[in-house]
Amino acid sequence: MTLPARRGRRRMARLGLNLTSMIDVVFLLLVYFMAVTEFKPGEEVYRLDLPQRGGTPDPFELPLDPIRITVTSVATGDYVLHLAGPPGAGPRPATFRQLVRFLSGNLRRDRAAGGLFEADHPIIIEPTGRTSWAHAMGAFNAVVRARYTNITFASP
Amino acid sequence: MIREKHPKPEPIAANLTPMIDVVFLLIVFFVLVSQIVEVENADLDLPRPQDPASVGPPEQARIVINVLPGSGGDVSGYRMGTRRYVADTAGLHALSTSLATMYRDNPALGVNLRADRRTDYRWVEPVFEAVSAAARLSGREDVHGRVNLVVVREP
Repeated sequence: MTLPARRGRRRMARLGLNLTSMIDVVFLLLVYFMAVTEFKPGEEVYRLDLPQRGGTPDPFELPLDPIRITVTSVATGDYVLHLAGPPGAGPRPATFRQLVRFLSGNLRRDRAAGGLFEADHPIIIEPTGRTSWAHAMGAFNAVVRARYTNITFASP
Repeated sequence: MIREKHPKPEPIAANLTPMIDVVFLLIVFFVLVSQIVEVENADLDLPRPQDPASVGPPEQARIVINVLPGSGGDVSGYRMGTRRYVADTAGLHALSTSLATMYRDNPALGVNLRADRRTDYRWVEPVFEAVSAAARLSGREDVHGRVNLVVVREP
């Protein structure tokens, strides 16, 4: 005896992906990010190693005459540069661009080439108390751009 | 003749519950994150050096010190993280002490210094002293007084 075939068998449910909610969320995110995005230029950094105040100097280290860069802000919003220390070759710089050129031109890159200062020659930036931070950073940027590594800020 | 039976059309319904869950979670997340970022980075007009030689911010744990501008190149105080400090000797000493505690927990902690481009240098330099003092106060040999000077790179 054979069993009768089942008639009322239910159809198998179809597998399907409901995209509606996903599209809703994606659009919401899109609107959110468009609303909150500010097209700000990116922030970057310069690394500054601070001198160890109060430390004892190495008695065997030969003291080098540092290059001292004084930068002063003036009433017009401009700045005045003054270089002191060992004389370098070339005209004394009056702008940050000229400072980069002066320092790069006097950097000793290898033994054969000329150049008066090693990359780790001490450079002290001496802004006055009233010098704006933008001008102090302009001088600092010029020295970093010229590939010097031993840079410090003096107390005003 | 046998009539073919058409299945009944299923009712169309969108299940909104998971979507609402996700949307609320996203709102809470972004509200919290945006507040933290705003508190950490004060709204300052940072220096924009010509032809900058700056680099991208280092990928390390860091604390941000903001030099909060006042009028005419003066400052209204300093802020490290969410805490505000008065711009005097006592305030800077408190800043050094807090930073020294952080250095003890994490000697590799970076310090980002943000100051407005119009702020006088006489208000920025004491922060260098405070960071150096914090490195000393931490009593750890592996802490180096070091700051990351934050600028804006023009596109």
